[in-house]
Amino acid sequence: MLDKVSFEASASEPSGSLSAGALNRRWLRWLDRRLPAAPSVTLNHRKLFVLPTAAGMGFLLLILLLWLLGTNYENNLVLALVFLLVGLMVVLPVHTFANLSGLKLRLQDVDPAFAGDFGIAKIAVEKTGKRTHERVRLNWPPEEGGLVDVSGGEPVEVRLDLPLVRRGKVRAPRIRVESRFPLGLFKCWSWVDLDVEFLAYPQPKSSGPLPWGVSVGEGEQEKSFSAGGDDFAGLKNYQPGDSLRHVAWKQFAGGRDLYSKEYASGSDARLWLDWDLLAGREPEVRLSNLCAWVLEAERAQVAYGLRLPGLTVEPALGSAHRHKVLSALALFPVKGVVG
Amino acid sequence: MSVHSGQLQTLLPRESLLWVFAAQLVVLLPHFAHLPIWLVFAWCIAVYWRLEVFRGRREIPGRVVKLVAVSLAVAGLAMTYRRWFALEPMVALLAVSFTLKNIELLSRRDAMLSLMLAYFLAATLFVFDQTIPYALYGVFSLLVITAALVAQQGSGSARAGRALGLSAKLLAQAVPVMLVLFVVMPRLGPLWAVPQNTSAASTGISDSMSPGDFSRLSKSDKPALRISFDGPVPPPEQRYWRGLVYTHFDGRRWSEPGITGNRWAGRRSRVRGEGEQSLPAVGPRYRYQVIQEASHNPWLFAMATPHSGTRGVRTTDEDTLIYRNPVGSRLAYDVRSWPRDSIPAQSQLSAAELRRHLQLPDSGNPEARAWAVARRQEGMDAEAISQALLTMYNRSFTYTLQPPALGANTVDEFLFGTRQGFCEHFANSYVFTMRAAGVPARVVAGYQGGEWVEQQEYLLVRQYDAHAWAEIWLPERGWVRVDPTASVAPQRIRDGLQSAAAEEFMQDAFLPLHKIPFVTRLRLQWDMINYRWYRTVVSFDAERQEGLLRRLLGEISPLRVAIFLGTPMAIALVALLIWLKLSSRGPALAPADRVYLRFCKRMARAGLPRNPGEAPGDYARRVEREWPALGLMVLRITLAYEKAAFADDTGALKQLRRLVRVFWPLRLSARSGISTNSLPTSAR
Repeated sequence: MLDKVSFEASASEPSGSLSAGALNRRWLRWLDRRLPAAPSVTLNHRKLFVLPTAAGMGFLLLILLLWLLGTNYENNLVLALVFLLVGLMVVLPVHTFANLSGLKLRLQDVDPAFAGDFGIAKIAVEKTGKRTHERVRLNWPPEEGGLVDVSGGEPVEVRLDLPLVRRGKVRAPRIRVESRFPLGLFKCWSWVDLDVEFLAYPQPKSSGPLPWGVSVGEGEQEKSFSAGGDDFAGLKNYQPGDSLRHVAWKQFAGGRDLYSKEYASGSDARLWLDWDLLAGREPEVRLSNLCAWVLEAERAQVAYGLRLPGLTVEPALGSAHRHKVLSALALFPVKGVVG
Repeated sequence: MSVHSGQLQTLLPRESLLWVFAAQLVVLLPHFAHLPIWLVFAWCIAVYWRLEVFRGRREIPGRVVKLVAVSLAVAGLAMTYRRWFALEPMVALLAVSFTLKNIELLSRRDAMLSLMLAYFLAATLFVFDQTIPYALYGVFSLLVITAALVAQQGSGSARAGRALGLSAKLLAQAVPVMLVLFVVMPRLGPLWAVPQNTSAASTGISDSMSPGDFSRLSKSDKPALRISFDGPVPPPEQRYWRGLVYTHFDGRRWSEPGITGNRWAGRRSRVRGEGEQSLPAVGPRYRYQVIQEASHNPWLFAMATPHSGTRGVRTTDEDTLIYRNPVGSRLAYDVRSWPRDSIPAQSQLSAAELRRHLQLPDSGNPEARAWAVARRQEGMDAEAISQALLTMYNRSFTYTLQPPALGANTVDEFLFGTRQGFCEHFANSYVFTMRAAGVPARVVAGYQGGEWVEQQEYLLVRQYDAHAWAEIWLPERGWVRVDPTASVAPQRIRDGLQSAAAEEFMQDAFLPLHKIPFVTRLRLQWDMINYRWYRTVVSFDAERQEGLLRRLLGEISPLRVAIFLGTPMAIALVALLIWLKLSSRGPALAPADRVYLRFCKRMARAGLPRNPGEAPGDYARRVEREWPALGLMVLRITLAYEKAAFADDTGALKQLRRLVRVFWPLRLSARSGISTNSLPTSAR
């Protein structure tokens, strides 16, 4: 009941006066309209904002104080200096703006990472005009991000990292692109959405040694046929890569095609990382444990397969396989599967 | 091209530190002259300490050390300056805050703060001096401070050439704004009383006159006044620039009881109010502007019966002008002077005035007193006695810059002994003798004469033009000027000191430059430049501003000022917009793309926008689904576009243009006779 009340309260929020949340949502909606997500963005006056920094406000205060000094002493040189500083404040936002305008950001590559680690997006920054761009900071606040100078013709690569908290697909927030060049009295910035999406593997959590030869539900498993045992099971057409020791030479000598002898084992001896092995734990913990096994198997250079409810990945080895398995873990929908 | 990833550099790098110190040094350097020496040392130590911290040889001082430093600085300021509400202690306070901040100059924020202080300190320099060299130095320090700000942005910007170049560029671009604001921004005048520069010793005519004072002044060729006339110019023998009147004689010194040091004691009672002035509205008068060098005294200089409309300038009972503060920097004031004989004379001196102008010490100078009494007994009137005295000067006195020293009875020894003297000796003896004869008289001090610069553009009056003369009161004529020096050395009045005392003139000058005509001319040229600088820039006040605006605009109305201000701003804005348009266009679009985008825009306005990244074909199919009335038209446009864009088909481009020209989604769907339910869901 309490939950419901609070839910209603939060639902009525937008209709009420401008709360911070509502403002923020409205701001994000406005940004989405004005700066739609795209893998390549060139900054221009539609996308940039300019305002004085705190130092700039201090500078305005300084101008006011100096004006008082000049007026009270009726000192024209002090006043001239004041007006020169005012002129500086008029000229500066144009320079600060020009330092970002025409800058092109392009998403190059997104590396997947484990939850609890940093996802890294590689972004190419280049200039579109003749103007150079100095001291441009790219970051996902509150991360530090990187500072970049673009003066030559070639794009500069910036690596931005975002902490990934949960597994799954993580849509990165907007990137803040900011510059305070040349005097630090004005800042020009933009919120760029490069459509960055991280794939976060589950956070690996060890749950003991690899489950060699352990399987669940023997009766059913036995029937399911899998290659690589000791008992002869039959012949199959030879395929390149089959062991020469298993070639049915007798049949080949008898003038028939090249066959391989197939063997089957009663109990599957291959390494299966099975969801059902970890029954009784939280689904997320299970995924983390599976992830840890995957890593261990890769380290031990043992072929491994994955069994999840509704998904089976045949055993294999290598980075492509690893990615396939880990992606399956990352994207596994927990909802609907009960403990 | 480089990537500085990782940590935000909150700690100041070496270049930033050095730039901040450079800016501080540049700003403090001209102030070193009047800052206490301990402060200079303290600054050096603070900079050294901070650099040692940077090198890792020392620690940032702890709280105890900081506390001690602050207390020492405050104690030092308190010991050095007695009065806190003055200009120098305030500058010193700024310098101290610089110094103390230096030892904990850690973050970018600290550096910014320090540089803001530097801007302020750079401006205070102008309060002390507004001459051309100072103005140039001010520009230089502004350049360095701004470069230091640039250098705070990072190592690439901290290279000296780059930082200074960028700083110069930014400042140069700010200059047009400065010029417009300088001309247009109203000058409000002082909002409250501010401390004036009081440290400098006063120069020029002082508050009293004793033998030797004026001969000392005659050794200085520093400019004192620059006077430009608007209309008629008085003849040389009328150019008496009255500054002060001395009425009290103590036997050796002439002084004015109302004045002590450089202040007026009973200012209110002694200064004549505005309303009492009864000056004729018509009649002969001189209009001129005086630009006075800093004298650190409040009295100003003008010809007899002056009136000034300049703010802060008042007329005294003695027909002199006085400023509300000691003149701490160059001051310009406009004066109108009515020659004395053009205004009706004061008929009677009050008893108090009479007493004041007949005052003599009880004893001393018996011979002079006896001489005066004898003349009175002969039945001579005031004018006759004066004439007799002047004749005596003329016959047997010598005008010299190096008069022999005088003993206790200065008047007696001069009149009946040495008979050699400078203007003060003549004025002194004349006024004394006239008073002894019962004629109200007073000594007037000021300048006399001046030298024309540049075809009579202005009159340059130097310190060696300092002069003392006398005024006596005659019942019918009021106060009448009598210059006893003129009867001894008339060329002094006509042609100046140099011709009157050629041999002795500037004799002990270190370099006798005044004897080289070329150098003299050069110096006059330089004075000319200074004068123009002062007239156009430094003394540009509300009145001149009004004049200039009137010249520029015809008349001053809010509308015209708004146009004057608005036009350059509008031009700048338009230029900015054009530049934005040009710079943000990016690579030019192909004609087919442009036409297709126009189509998309119209669709978006009608309520069915193309999604970002949606292929034209997909979009067309979606439109067909959601808004069937347009389906056929959109399909045709899309086909034409694809042909034009990807197959470079000029016929297709023409067709596309034709189709899009008539493509108005809402009109089209209305014409097809299907009402609202033909609109897409989002537009309903």
